[in-house]
Amino acid sequence: MQVRWLIPLGTTAAAIAQIAYATQYMTVQQAQQAAFAGASEFRALPSPDATQAAALGAAPGWSPRIFAARAGDKLLGWLIVDQVIGKSELITYALALDPAGTVISVEVLDYRESHGGEIRIPAWREQFVGKTAADAVALNSDIRNISGATLSCRHLTEGVQRLLKLYKVALQVQA
Amino acid sequence: MDTMLRRARPWLGTLVEMRLEGLNPASAAMALDAAFAEVAAVHRCMSFHDADSDLSRLHRADVGSVVTVDARTYEVLRCAVQVAAMSEGSFDPCVGARAVAHGALPRPRSAFVPDPAASWHDIEFPDVDRVRLRRGLWLDLGGIAKGYAVDRAIGILRAAGAVQAIVNAGGDLRVAGTRAERVHLRIHPGEVAHTIELSDGAIASSTSSSILRTTQTTDGALASGEDTATGVSVAAPSCMLADALTKVALVAQPRVAARALAAFGAQALCYHAAHGRWCELGVTA
Repeated sequence: MQVRWLIPLGTTAAAIAQIAYATQYMTVQQAQQAAFAGASEFRALPSPDATQAAALGAAPGWSPRIFAARAGDKLLGWLIVDQVIGKSELITYALALDPAGTVISVEVLDYRESHGGEIRIPAWREQFVGKTAADAVALNSDIRNISGATLSCRHLTEGVQRLLKLYKVALQVQA
Repeated sequence: MDTMLRRARPWLGTLVEMRLEGLNPASAAMALDAAFAEVAAVHRCMSFHDADSDLSRLHRADVGSVVTVDARTYEVLRCAVQVAAMSEGSFDPCVGARAVAHGALPRPRSAFVPDPAASWHDIEFPDVDRVRLRRGLWLDLGGIAKGYAVDRAIGILRAAGAVQAIVNAGGDLRVAGTRAERVHLRIHPGEVAHTIELSDGAIASSTSSSILRTTQTTDGALASGEDTATGVSVAAPSCMLADALTKVALVAQPRVAARALAAFGAQALCYHAAHGRWCELGVTA
């Protein structure tokens, strides 16, 4: 083990820096291929309407992107891309389900942290919708590893639960 | 072509991020899948909530009976007891009952009422992969299993041939590879309070507020006053040790903490909000 403290000890911690941490892990296309390698088509389906969203307890404007993964006539499953917002984080993730609604995988596509609460502003959120790897906004790309004060994935867990309910009311009948 | 591949999935109540270099994309994706599967296995063995976990089976068994557990649970429990002994109980995996009383954990199905006098002294290992609880107690491995899951994942990525790999489970992270990785330490989200460089080792961080919330340590052990560290980061050869030793560095008397850290080849960086200073613990110069 080799460890080197980069700031002289005993100095006061005036060097505390505000950061916005962001990482893109996968694109939607990569998530589709990873979950359904044998698919010949990912057919986009309409997002749930406002009534469905309200019934599932989602915030106004909730619009997960739903894809049916198909190999010819055969349905392989579903990939649903959704976003969850916490106190200071925005997570885009992809849930892959088989036709019976069993979870194949949950992959984080995009993770963003911000300190000023600006992710509550819809315009800030919209700039990330539909982004690809090529468009990724580089925010402090130097910061790759963080230890301490990380955020829980409670919102993500709740998001997955909501998508599983969405499967029951909207997708199960199509399987 | 070798690439860097980076993935994150939710496990262990946090986001687990893995990154590796030195493999072709197909091998890298397979290695990452295997490493995430191992994290999931550790999660299932040591979950307090899951009725099929080894912990739940221990809690359902009669006091004094011998329970066969997964080799991984056995390894974590052995290490937990070692750290508890070396830290004079500052770290104690037997805090499940207190966490339930505080509402931090749900009440488990159990064959017994937990004995308030029970502690790590009451965990016995009659044989390999065998555990016996001498008194009624509820185990909580929340302060050590995350680090262990990181170690297991690193082992898999390394065995798959990764040249450089990092696994980070909510701030408990380990670097495999000789290239130093820059790691930012923080006390509060959105801030970087300190930066280190680490190669072939692990670091874990904890704050006094999080430790009160999870009640991973003995009640009343948390000292108060100006000398109490607000946050600590512990660098250690394994992430399991780093994870467990953050609680020791936060709550033990400095003399006890320094001895425990040195015994496990670890060192700590403590932040004191009262004077806004960092200090080192456990470094044998």
